Amino acid sequence: MKVTIHIWDLPLRLFHWLLAAAVVAAYITGKLGGNLIDWHGRIGALILGLLVFRIIWGFIGTTHARFINFFPTFSRLAAYLKGGWQGVGHNPLGALAVFALLADLAVLVSTGLFAGDDIAFEGPLFNLVDKALSDKLSGWHNLAFDLLAGLIAVHLAAIGFYRWVKKTNLVVPMVTGKKQVPKAVATSLTGGGALRFFTTVIISGAVVWGIWGGLEIIKPVESAPATVAKPSF
Amino acid sequence: MKSKLALAIILATAATTAVSGPVEEQIRFRQSAYSFLGWNTGKIKKQVVDHPETFNKDYVAAAANAIAAVANSGLGELYGPGTDQGTGWKTTRLKPEFFQKKEEVTAAANTFNEAANDLARVAATGDINAIKTQFGKVGESCKGCHNLARIKE
Repeated sequence: MKVTIHIWDLPLRLFHWLLAAAVVAAYITGKLGGNLIDWHGRIGALILGLLVFRIIWGFIGTTHARFINFFPTFSRLAAYLKGGWQGVGHNPLGALAVFALLADLAVLVSTGLFAGDDIAFEGPLFNLVDKALSDKLSGWHNLAFDLLAGLIAVHLAAIGFYRWVKKTNLVVPMVTGKKQVPKAVATSLTGGGALRFFTTVIISGAVVWGIWGGLEIIKPVESAPATVAKPSF
Repeated sequence: MKSKLALAIILATAATTAVSGPVEEQIRFRQSAYSFLGWNTGKIKKQVVDHPETFNKDYVAAAANAIAAVANSGLGELYGPGTDQGTGWKTTRLKPEFFQKKEEVTAAANTFNEAANDLARVAATGDINAIKTQFGKVGESCKGCHNLARIKE
């Protein structure tokens, strides 16, 4: 006996698909370089905002979006691997992937803030560290991307495995928010709400605004003023 | 006394040469060249891309000419055998494959040279939009060589 429940709230679904699109766009603009590198930076700002949003939503969002409800503890993982896990939302193994993806994206985005390409791009916090450290962080930025590509491959493979081997479609619920689940474990989401959503969006926006030069204390020091008086020699 | 002084000078020169051999010198000069390029691309980026309201034709043209001058200076001379190992101002990031990929490297370097010369030509016209487009092409050509021959840290 299966029933349809509301599993993923709209903000979570928006987060997911915007993030997917932003990661693809960041990859393309980063690879092509040239004038697109500025878009790489702007997309990075969007990804930072999305990550901050997801972290806050993991505490105050709806049931299946909350970290505490799907955190992959040893007992949950053990139960899942023995086939005894019961529940809806992220299963413990999937939860490991969720946290790995979020953690790696956090590394990717935060190293990008300090990175430079020695051509015509500097992250918003480039001037807060010395050049050697910036070079190191730029290297980590590359490594974190390689790891992300691997994690995305695992993510997509798992979706394929569920689709064709376990006959469970994970993509449609991430679009519609609805999922058919056994009645025994059916728990529709509760919580969230417009007020919490807008508060979270405002905080995320404020973090991005602050880092991109909004806050005086971390405002990047321009290496030379934009308008230069004609030098005398 | 004079001969002692001459000897001292010769010894000092020899010592300097020993510390800073031809390999290190090439690495140091090329690092200086790219650092100087970075100063000039930064100037164009500021006035053409980030703050177009501050655009000054002569300032940008001077920077573009400096980039073209470096591109036309024959940088290939600074990539002698063995210069994938060594320290100039810092340890070189030249990939050892550089020496096996002569044709690709030459093509990438020529792409940069052409883009840089075009930038200088376009900069002379003072057309900020055209400069921005060409500046992007120079950036792509920089990246072309970095992908090919520069070790990621």
